[in-house]
Amino acid sequence: MNFLQVTINLAEGFYTTLLLFAITLVGSLPLGLLIAFGSMSKIKPIRAVVRGLVWIIRGTPLMLQVILVFYGPGLIFGLYGLDRFPAVVIAFIINYAAYFSEIYRGGIESIPKGQYEAGQVLGMTKTQIFFKVVLFQVIKRIIPPMGNEIITLVKDTSLARVIAVNELLNSAQDIVGEHAIIWPIFYTGAFYLLFTGLLTILFGKLEKKFNYYAG
Amino acid sequence: MKKLLSVAMMLVLTASMLVGCGNSGTDWDYIKGKKTLVIGITYYEPMNYHDPDTGELTGFDTEFAQAVCKELGVEPVFQEIEWDQKEMELKSKTIDCIWNGLTVTEERKANMAFSKSYVENKQVVVIKKDNADKFTNIDSLTGIKMCAEGGSAGEDAIAADPVLSQNEYIDVSAQRDALLEVKSGTCEACVLDYVLAKAVINDTTDYSDLMIIDGIELAKEEYAIGIRLEDAETVAKINEAIDKLLADGTLKALGEKYGVNVIE
Repeated sequence: MNFLQVTINLAEGFYTTLLLFAITLVGSLPLGLLIAFGSMSKIKPIRAVVRGLVWIIRGTPLMLQVILVFYGPGLIFGLYGLDRFPAVVIAFIINYAAYFSEIYRGGIESIPKGQYEAGQVLGMTKTQIFFKVVLFQVIKRIIPPMGNEIITLVKDTSLARVIAVNELLNSAQDIVGEHAIIWPIFYTGAFYLLFTGLLTILFGKLEKKFNYYAG
Repeated sequence: MKKLLSVAMMLVLTASMLVGCGNSGTDWDYIKGKKTLVIGITYYEPMNYHDPDTGELTGFDTEFAQAVCKELGVEPVFQEIEWDQKEMELKSKTIDCIWNGLTVTEERKANMAFSKSYVENKQVVVIKKDNADKFTNIDSLTGIKMCAEGGSAGEDAIAADPVLSQNEYIDVSAQRDALLEVKSGTCEACVLDYVLAKAVINDTTDYSDLMIIDGIELAKEEYAIGIRLEDAETVAKINEAIDKLLADGTLKALGEKYGVNVIE
């Protein structure tokens, strides 16, 4: 295996990593907001159930959740459940939505009550106040912790290998097993660094853009 | 809250009933019905690996499985698995068999049925060439750090040996990681399959500074195909196909091609 062959092989694994990353974000960003509303609900039972779920998801390893989603259906019901990749995607979306929901909640609760009251005085509805006054301030405040989570997600994709999804790190270890060369494992670091580097720049720009809503 | 709980319970009950109904017929019917045999493998030389030039999956077990599936009239589907999860994969039907240099052990017989054994193997000790003078026989391997793949025959061989079992032991997640441990010096020796070790330790690979200790042969063993426990019919069908490939010399030729000892 020469450098080019290894790079092509790893690029295939990297594609799976990227796909998992992107689908997880697309699914968990809105789901997280829904969970955040649930955990702030005025109705006590809803709040209790949602917070209980968040506790379970944040309180168990993501690796365990991936194993459960993939093998669970077959072991419990004797059914062939989901394919490998969809199983990982579902586990990741639920897990990350739980973490995002807490970040959203922190952001939303940090907005002073006076703003809601001011909005009401001006005759705005609750929905109008949330989307026109509160939301952008929340986004600005949660950019740094979201950046943290999203960069963690890049590296967490390597957990997909526990059910043999051929992501970047797994594809490197396959090369080690098949061709008895070791350096590709460390070469994967370059892919991860490049990707998280791009994300860091992106989040820096986003922060600058939202600087307009200072205050 | 109570209502929610009871609704959830109902859902689970209905789901399990539905599934219970769908579970008739033998495992062989299930495999024949879908016309594929999903074969759980990990990639390693010489059993299942990609040809570096063509990128095609090849190897002794690959070609052997293709030949058997041809006899059975089903399509082989090679599915990479995480070796630690192989029993779970088999039970949850995400694969139909394990066919990847799987060593027959008593413990494994509780979790899976085995086909007839087809290859002879043994466990060997691998060390750095620099330590060749230091480690020459079993007795010299005392007071060192050793490793093997968790749940592998190598691990069993260490536990069964009166000298090796006294050493500090680390279980790693794959045989390739065991070699990495020895190469990087984090372990002095590892125990692994002779078939694998012979294939990867040579001057053209990254393991050229490693060597197999001559004359130490632990736990002579045999490879077989792991099949779901309740499935005697599939075992019989596969054994029939193996006998045929043995009789016409196909298997022996494959053994010579990939350098493994076929049991005749």
